[in-house]
Formats: sequence, C-alpha cells, structure tokens
Amino acid sequence: MERQSVLSTEDEVGNWIENGMTIAIGEPAPMGMVRHIIRNQISGLTVIGSGIALDFLIAGGCVSKVISYYAGGGFGVPVAPSFRHAAQTGELEVWECEEGVLTSGLEATAKGLPFLPWRGGVGTSLPEVNKDLRVMEDPINGEILLAVPAIHVDVALLHASKADVFGNVQHQGGPGWIDLFLRRAANRVAVQVEKIISNEEVRSDAWATTISNADAVIRAPYGAHPFYSRGHYTQDKKHLKLYVDAATLAVTGEQAYIEEYFRRHVYEATSHIMYLEEIGITRLLSLHEY
Amino acid sequence: MRYSSVDNFTVQELMAVFLARQLRDGDHLQVGVALPVPEAAVRLAHIMHGPNMELIFLGARMNVHQLEQLPLPEFGWDNRVVRWAESYSDRGHRFDQVKDWYRRVFFIGGVQVDRFGNTNLIGIGNDHQRLDFRGPGSVGTATLTTHVGRYYIVLNNHTPRLLVEKCDFISAFGWGDGGADARKRLGIPGGGPQLCITPLCVMDFAEDTKCMRLISVHPGVTVDDVKGATGFPLEVSDKLTTTKIPSLEELTILRGRVDPSGSLRS
Repeated sequence: MERQSVLSTEDEVGNWIENGMTIAIGEPAPMGMVRHIIRNQISGLTVIGSGIALDFLIAGGCVSKVISYYAGGGFGVPVAPSFRHAAQTGELEVWECEEGVLTSGLEATAKGLPFLPWRGGVGTSLPEVNKDLRVMEDPINGEILLAVPAIHVDVALLHASKADVFGNVQHQGGPGWIDLFLRRAANRVAVQVEKIISNEEVRSDAWATTISNADAVIRAPYGAHPFYSRGHYTQDKKHLKLYVDAATLAVTGEQAYIEEYFRRHVYEATSHIMYLEEIGITRLLSLHEY
Repeated sequence: MRYSSVDNFTVQELMAVFLARQLRDGDHLQVGVALPVPEAAVRLAHIMHGPNMELIFLGARMNVHQLEQLPLPEFGWDNRVVRWAESYSDRGHRFDQVKDWYRRVFFIGGVQVDRFGNTNLIGIGNDHQRLDFRGPGSVGTATLTTHVGRYYIVLNNHTPRLLVEKCDFISAFGWGDGGADARKRLGIPGGGPQLCITPLCVMDFAEDTKCMRLISVHPGVTVDDVKGATGFPLEVSDKLTTTKIPSLEELTILRGRVDPSGSLRS
C-alpha cells in the first residue's frame, strides 16, 4: 500500500459542495474555487467570508445567508455593492458578528463545545440583531459576557503558498486572516496553492507547516487573482475596479456589465487555467510584489 | 460642512498632526482599514517622538523608527505592508492576549457616532434585515474597543446624520448611556474613547457625564458651525481653544517622510 495523495482538482472539490451548505472563504481568497461555485450555480449557501470575495458569490446568486463581520468595498465604494443591496432588500440573511465573536464561535466548534464566552460585543447591539448570541452571567465571577454558539462549517476553502501532495500546507508570509480558525472548525478543508512542493521540502522546514492533513490541495497558480497572495503577487486593482463598477451598476438595475463580467471570467472560462488565459500573462506578471 | 484646506495645509493634515501629538512613546498603535488620518498620524508620531512605539497594520507588528521614509500603503489591504514586520500574526491569535492591551491604542470611524461615543458600523435603519443603509460590519471593533487602553474616534465628515443623538445600532460600546462608570458597570475593561476628531473640531467626553464636549475648533471654524453640524446638543468646554496648527517641522516630516504621495492633500 502507498500513502494516499490528496492532490485534487476544482471539479473534485466542487463535488463536495451542495446547495444549502455552510462554506468558509479564507484570505487570501481561493478565487479559483469561488468562480467554480458560481459557474456551477450552487445556491442557498451560508458563507463565512469578507469583502469583495464574498461579494462575488452574492452577485453570482450563490448565497442566502452571510456570517459577516466585514464587507468593505474599496475602489470607490465603502461597502461591497452586492452585499449592501442584498442586505438592504432582505434577500440576504445577515448573521451579524465581529471578528472576536466569529473566532470564538469557530473555536467552540473546534473544541467540541456548545459555545464559548467572549467579552467584545457586551453593551453593543450584536445580541439584539443576532438572537443566536446570548448575554450570559458567568458562573465563576458573575461577569456579563456574550455566549457565542459553535459555528459549524461544512467546507473551508483556502488559498496558500505551497503544499505537498499529502496535504501539508505552508504559507509564505504567514497564514492569512482567520484561516487557521476556519480550518479547525471545518469538516473538510481544501487548499488552493501557488505551487506543489515535494514532501522532502516540507520536512526540511516542518515549523513552516501551517496546516496539516488538508483534505484536498489544488494546484492553482495565481489562484487568488484578482486578490493578493502573500509572497507572490499583489491585488489587481484595475480588475477589481472593473468588478466593483459592474456590480455597483447591477444593483441600480443595469445588468449588462456584470453579466458580461461573469460571462468572460466565470462561465466561458470553464477552468482556472482558462481564466488565467483570459486575464493574460502580461497583466498577471505585472502584479509582482516588489 | 466640509473644508478642503485651512490656509496652506489641509484639514486632514491638521487632524493627522493633532492626533500624532496625542500619541505617547511606548504606545502600541493599531490601525485598521480606510482610516487615512490615523495611518499618517501613527507614522508621524513614530518619527517625531515615538522610537519605542509599535505600529500594527493587518496583523503585521513593526517598529520602523529608523527608516528614512514610512510611506502609506497604496491601499488598505496592500500585502506589501508586511515587508516591515518584525512579527506577524493572524487576527485571531492577536485576540488571545487581550489582557495586555492596556498599552494598545486604537482608532475608529463609523456610519453613526452618538453623544456618548458609541459607534455604529452595522448600518442605518429600523429593521436590521432590511436596512436603509447597510454598513460594512463591525470588523474587530467590538473586541478592540472593549480591551484597548484608549481609543480615538476619527471622522472624515462632520454632519448631523453622522453625529447623532442615538445610534440606530451600536457595534462598539463607548460610554453607553453616559456616566463615568458606564464601562465599569458592564465590566468592560478598556479605557474607552478619549477624543472625537472631525474636519471641524475636536471633542472630548466630560469627566462626569461622558457627554461629548467641544474642546477645540479648527482655524476658521466657529462654535456655531460645529453646533449646526452636530445632531445633538453639544456642550462647550470653558477651556475651548483653537486647534493648534502644524509646526513647520511636523508638516515637513509629514509631507516628506510619511505622505510623499500627498494622500492627505487630495
């Protein structure tokens, strides 16, 4: 018998994701998988995510509930346009939270607990607008705390620098955001990587391994485009502006630009490699960090 | 009301210089996204009088006092900011040591700010699931404002819609319903909001009531201008002054070493 490789494809990981599941989107954003989900018209998802990457999935019609701490826009708009519109019209359920609250809920799941207490959010409207958050009196000292229920995640989709085929993942420049919390809370985790490396290379620097036992790794160079991948490339601001402008027009009723955007970048580019061809090597290579 | 410039420096530069003077050597300064004035202020203070300050952007913790230039990142989520880091942690891990945040200083904005310094990033409206204006969300502000030693509210505008009697939603607790013990009553340990800095003025929180109180108006601004632009009855300090303008040294360092691209002058 041989040790089993977890090297996977977009399609294989895509088959894990069913309508109505809870998925988490890490940072750097696993955009190859985000586009795959939109292309496959997955719907009714609960999404833990932030910013414009989250907005892509909302604009793509995949999301019915957002576990949200931040959906800022940038590129001329303070709030991600599709998120803002869908939240204002009631099309999108918002499970209002905050970074410390969210990480408490994820950690409760990882630790097999029904909830974890957290102080950040005491005195705020969070427990009023999110009835799942309970104000509690701690049984030790009688302090006022929030009880954050365990947040369950079916699939976490992450993007990192490199991994071997056995699911040992190493981030260059540190793991992003709350990716390690998402990993610990999720039933399954798939990690897109810029590069597949040998097991020997992993073992030469075992301290650099940030995630072990990933359920799938996907070879996806430039897989976070149009967002950054630390140690590899910066955000593609021109491309993000294109998306933000199209999404902003779409919520005012002018659908043509967002339809054209999705047609070119999602529906007709039927794989990550075809997407990269659509973006073009000149643009991709201009995004170097230094 | 909005002023684009006061004499030959902009009001954003005035705000950054004022804020930099509030920061003390040894402070740990945490700056989030979309806050151009604090981004510049912490760098200016670091050069001017803060060799032992720590600057924390996006989880990257740095001391860059020795650098010739501390340029502002081109945009909020520029991953190149980590090039200066001495250490880096994701946000979750940073939340594991909140007991030591008494040295930490934070800066916050909002879509609404009320007279007791509570702030709202959730949105405006009555029905949370159908807001009139959906804000970006709380980010990490509920946790940060709960635990940091002190924080500053920094606003890009000063209007009655922004500075309101009562926030529709509170995403970060300031002084609650007022009173010097407002935070203590709820067991909230951090030092709370100290000042609110806007393009018109600087306000503090009265010692006993914790009501916002006008303490200085920027050059060219009157008390009536401020009152007219504020959505609640504003107390005026009997020590009211005019905000001190930047010195030549401060302005030279700000423009030459912190903000050479002029992001505070546009």
